[in-house]
Amino acid sequence: MINTFFSSGTLDSPAAFLASLLIGLAFGVALERAGFGSSRRLSGIFYFRDMAVLKVMFTAVIVAMLGVCYAKAFGWVTPDNVYFLHTLYAAQILGGLIFGVGFVMGGWCPGTAAVGVASGKIDALVFLAGALGGSILYNELYTVVAPLTANDRGVVFGFDSLGVSEAGFAFVFTLIAVGCFWGAEAIEKKRNGVEGYWNSRFLKVFSAMLAIGAFGLFAVQTKPAAAANAAAQEETLLTGMQEGADHIEVQELADRLLEGDASILLVDIRAPEEYAGFHIRTAVNIQAADLPASLAPHKNQGLIVLYSNGMTHPAQARDSLARLGFGNVYQLTDGLQGFLDVCLKPVSLRDAPVPAAQTAKIRAWRAFFLGAPVAAPAVAATSVRASEPLPAEVETEWLAQNLGRGDVKRIDMRPQPEYKGGHIPGALSLNIESLRGCVEGIPSTLLPAKLLAEHFSLMGIRPDDSIVVIWGDKEQDATLVGMACERLGHSRYAVLRGGFAKWQSERRQLDTLLPVVTATRYPVPAKADAFTVGAKDVLAAVGAPGSVILDVRPADFFTGKKRDEARGGHVPGAVNRPFADDVAKGEAFNTLKPVGELAAAYAKLIPAKDSPVIIHCRTGHQASQTFFVLTRLLGYTRVRWYDAGWTEWAARPELPVVSDEQKPEGPK
Amino acid sequence: MRAKPYSNPYLAGVLLGMTVLASYLILGAGLGASAGIARAGAFCELALAPARTLASRYFGEWGAEPLNYYLVFMLAGVFCGGLISALLADRCAVIVERGARCSALKRLVFALAGGVIVGFASRLANGCTSGQALSGSAVLLTGSLLFLISVFAGGYAAAWFVRRQWYD
Repeated sequence: MINTFFSSGTLDSPAAFLASLLIGLAFGVALERAGFGSSRRLSGIFYFRDMAVLKVMFTAVIVAMLGVCYAKAFGWVTPDNVYFLHTLYAAQILGGLIFGVGFVMGGWCPGTAAVGVASGKIDALVFLAGALGGSILYNELYTVVAPLTANDRGVVFGFDSLGVSEAGFAFVFTLIAVGCFWGAEAIEKKRNGVEGYWNSRFLKVFSAMLAIGAFGLFAVQTKPAAAANAAAQEETLLTGMQEGADHIEVQELADRLLEGDASILLVDIRAPEEYAGFHIRTAVNIQAADLPASLAPHKNQGLIVLYSNGMTHPAQARDSLARLGFGNVYQLTDGLQGFLDVCLKPVSLRDAPVPAAQTAKIRAWRAFFLGAPVAAPAVAATSVRASEPLPAEVETEWLAQNLGRGDVKRIDMRPQPEYKGGHIPGALSLNIESLRGCVEGIPSTLLPAKLLAEHFSLMGIRPDDSIVVIWGDKEQDATLVGMACERLGHSRYAVLRGGFAKWQSERRQLDTLLPVVTATRYPVPAKADAFTVGAKDVLAAVGAPGSVILDVRPADFFTGKKRDEARGGHVPGAVNRPFADDVAKGEAFNTLKPVGELAAAYAKLIPAKDSPVIIHCRTGHQASQTFFVLTRLLGYTRVRWYDAGWTEWAARPELPVVSDEQKPEGPK
Repeated sequence: MRAKPYSNPYLAGVLLGMTVLASYLILGAGLGASAGIARAGAFCELALAPARTLASRYFGEWGAEPLNYYLVFMLAGVFCGGLISALLADRCAVIVERGARCSALKRLVFALAGGVIVGFASRLANGCTSGQALSGSAVLLTGSLLFLISVFAGGYAAAWFVRRQWYD
């Protein structure tokens, strides 16, 4: 198998961009040589005036097809190293019909228009501008047309659709092409009165070569090399089965799931009704026929465990996946029934006496697998991978789809009574005050990394977990957890957009059960974080050219009109952007304002994305929200956080203060 | 200077087919042109309305830097390849290509309207003549073959109505 940019996951690397540029170069030369830099020549086919499009296109299709077929026969190309476009009947048929109308009207298609522009054709430039607009139009109408793209059939080959062999299909397709070439020459001869290639020696030889090339496929597609390759695979499969390497014992599975092992993808291959009735916690439901496509992202990554009622179906599914190159598929010994008997059957109902240690284990399993039901989405296995980047804010829909994932830790910041009254399934309750305290004399300061790591450990969080923070009425509660994550170097965290209120307003699933948590040992970073600064750093930034001190307290506190500390006012040179100005209030819930709006507002206050910025408020709480906005949403790179804030600044008389009020009011 | 004649279409086709093959074997994906244009569209919409674009369901998936994509570079390559080849063959001329009895404005209006339709349809079908009809058909994908047939069905159905732009 060839290692392509696609198979190595580096299609977005500079090397792939260069390769694409060079392939594009050859593509452009081929189109131009063919005369496709002329719209008159392109549209000729629709008036039977110039059949070049048919000759060039069909030749290219056949040549590439033969090449790919041979490459497949030699094992160079498989669905693993090549990206094949999916088949969506409605979108492709309707899209094709509309495309044809636009093609004949505009006289160009996208690739040829690029060559047309290079050849100086103004109509090509106008066409491209139109196509750009048409793409934007599609984006704007997407919600209307999206249903047409809903029925994705996956990778479907024409020969499979017709139920014929690949070589047979390719051979007949080649003969049709050759027939079309002769037909095209005949049309041109009749219409334009020129001989062209009709009955030419060239076309005879060319036709014969294509036909022979296609015929050769019948021979290579049963080539010994490919067969030997398959035989070797088969042998590995058999050895694996004999050694039991394809099985995972129910107890091992139960323990690993209990520990929150995120490398296991548990797949229930029974019918959806059976799955809905009962399934092993964390399992996703995928039908056997859909397994190859749905599991493709997990191929040879982590552990895929299949189960059903018994052993027959998972064994078949496992074998067919192994033949597709999946080396990480296991089946559960004795299936779901075995799991129920060994792990979940109450001790009191068992025939043989159970040792004490085993009894405790069974209790823990029962608590985990029966105690807190977690709704797993149907076929959500492919929706998100652990390696995928997590957005700064996740939507409620995203969370709803990922409830079944043990590696998505939800932390609910609402007060305990509200949490107990109903929370998002699996959510942990956290009091904001457990993250901060008196540090070196300054109250309400985010705790040192060591203590934060201790809290994360108790919550059963692992460094590679994705943390989603759910907030009640203050978004800054969630962003303060974000600061704790930042301090621990835990970059995979996100804030639930709209908070709990949005979830509730959408009438989504709630739960009153406590999640079952096994404590972890969250590592403490060796170095202190680089973004927390003290009064000394703020003082150094006063008057420093290009640097910004951003005070996010309400305007009255900034000016000194109101105060609840020893002194009112602000740091000299600081600019005021109240944190509440970043929030859009809605009827049912609040959200942060749209990114564009925030970007525009901050662009007026901060000269550049890499300008040094220090954010502060009174205690660091509100400033955490602005920190989140600037670093996670807007991409500012040098933002630091003066956690001690006005609490410290006001109480240290040697630090300078500017106040707009001559006689500030006393503390309220 | 007189423009040189076009290549033998079958040999140009062989070159094109080899390019498709190279694309599959090196990149692991077929050719594509319309995606590059759509990415440029996303870039323009981002410049005009960043928040709206990022929040949109289609372009939003491409993030804040839609041009960071291999097919954008491929489209740039097509332009450069076309330019080199056209210059070598003396086929570069700034003109509006049209029939003698068609006004330039009329031809440009047709080109613009055709462009909008093609841009839209390419997104709907997830590809154009390059990605679907050429590359997809070459690997015998059912959807791509249907797209190819549909393009010609749509083209022949509409050809009669827009024939005047080519009248001499």
